[in-house]
Amino acid sequence: MIKLAKNFVVGTWSLIKGLAVTIKYFFRPTVTLQYPTEKQPMSECYRGLVGLRPEKCIVCYQCVKICPTACLAITHKQEDKKKTLETFKYNMELCCFCGLCQQVCPTSAIIMTNIYEISVYDRKKLDINLLDMKKYDEWTNTTIK
Amino acid sequence: MDATQTKDIYTEEFLINMGPQHPSTHGVLSLELTLDGETIVECTPHIGYLHRSMEKIAENRTYTQFIPFTDRLDYVASMNNNLGYVMVVEKLLKLEISERAKYIRVIIAELNRIASHLIAIGTFAQDLGAFATPLFYCFREREKIVEIFDQLCGNRLTYNYMRIGGVLTDFSRDIEEKIKKFIKYMRPKVDDYDWLLTYNAIFLARSKHIGVLSKEMAVNYSITGPNLRASGVKWDLRKDEPYLAYDKFEFDVPVGKNGDAWDRYKVRIEEIRQSLRIIEQAIEALPQGDVAVKVGRIHKPSPSETYFRTENPRGELGFYIVSDDSVYPYRLKIRSPSFSNLAVLPELVRGLKVADIVCVLGSFDILMGEIDR
Ligand code: SF4
Ligand code: SF4
Repeated sequence: MIKLAKNFVVGTWSLIKGLAVTIKYFFRPTVTLQYPTEKQPMSECYRGLVGLRPEKCIVCYQCVKICPTACLAITHKQEDKKKTLETFKYNMELCCFCGLCQQVCPTSAIIMTNIYEISVYDRKKLDINLLDMKKYDEWTNTTIK
Repeated sequence: MDATQTKDIYTEEFLINMGPQHPSTHGVLSLELTLDGETIVECTPHIGYLHRSMEKIAENRTYTQFIPFTDRLDYVASMNNNLGYVMVVEKLLKLEISERAKYIRVIIAELNRIASHLIAIGTFAQDLGAFATPLFYCFREREKIVEIFDQLCGNRLTYNYMRIGGVLTDFSRDIEEKIKKFIKYMRPKVDDYDWLLTYNAIFLARSKHIGVLSKEMAVNYSITGPNLRASGVKWDLRKDEPYLAYDKFEFDVPVGKNGDAWDRYKVRIEEIRQSLRIIEQAIEALPQGDVAVKVGRIHKPSPSETYFRTENPRGELGFYIVSDDSVYPYRLKIRSPSFSNLAVLPELVRGLKVADIVCVLGSFDILMGEIDR
């Protein structure tokens, strides 16, 4: 009987203590975002989908060499001493958004955009030709830095 | 019914599979339970559902290329994994890093430890039936840390921030301010958890004297981290084998008394407080200087073997590298803390009720990413 009464008191007391905390936050501003309608802004240096500024690329193959998942593939044309980009394939399926390609690029040609809603219905869309960046308009939030 | 009546009723043990898709197995863990009514007779964990052959992958990646893969081991504490890996490579290359980089690493590692413990606490509470509130409170605080990391390195979960020879980016004024603000913000929140959870009658009833892990057993099973300290063994690599700048800071190593589920939870709460202390001291004394030593991206260490261990939020994380004369490691072995922590589970849950297995498992805070590797 005494144990029951003690349990009752202790239980009620913890209930009140817990409620005190929750009620305290009940009157604070909400911190949750209603996701699809409200979106969290990503930071300046956010590492989303990989993008390219083809005019800056000097075809040095650094990014291809460093990529740990081998998702970048370049071909080039050699004219005299000048190299020009022919294709720049980016297989987004394999990319782990590590940012290493962006860091090794000597001319900042390869960049990381802040696109993060990257799910698609068609698997073919994951194979991206970086020379034709218009494709990125299909995704929301397509501001390229 | 008395004993004479029940004798004729045919009963048998019952085998059920808990997982791999079970909300409280913290990933894809499958537990094969043999039950006698509601009591657990035998429990066999089956692992391997998340196996990505990390160790083999490492043999075909340069030392720098493997850093992003370590993010995916213990994905709740990626920074600590990055740290463990780059430290072993630095030891292999006999590389000395700058003082500022050391301090930054300490701050980042401790912040990630807090984030990891917050998830441990939140999910543990949820496993015990405190459905949304504690978990969401923990995530609210964790969000602050994740935002700091996002600003620092550009990602929210897989950071790839540590570099061989230093770190990726330096702290800006803004980030320093944010971290200082976070310390002030976080201290009262830990007290909130005490009010909300730690001494709650239901929580105590569910977690006290459940899954008691004795000192001897913990050592025999090579349990490490908060789970070991909850059993009363005062062993923390940050204190006992200080690396980076940990020997310059004052902090306590919280230990538990009984080694039950509640103690494991309580040690984590205390560790958050201690981590805040470390961060506070480190950010006050942050020296000036470079954050990275200039080394090439391709490393070619001479043939040797190296092992280094760091204190991860879940225990001791060790990397063992055998290098040959190439740019790839010959062999990389990962000693992950959760693997050992899971091994003791069958011993602890024998004789408990089914509902308690969730409590014991939750209190161990295992993570499948590093068990399966
Ligand atoms: S972010 Fe990493 S994985 Fe993706 S393309 Fe760049 S280097 Fe490769
Ligand atoms: S590293 Fe930069 S410049 Fe070199 S090939 Fe890649 S994108 Fe072009």
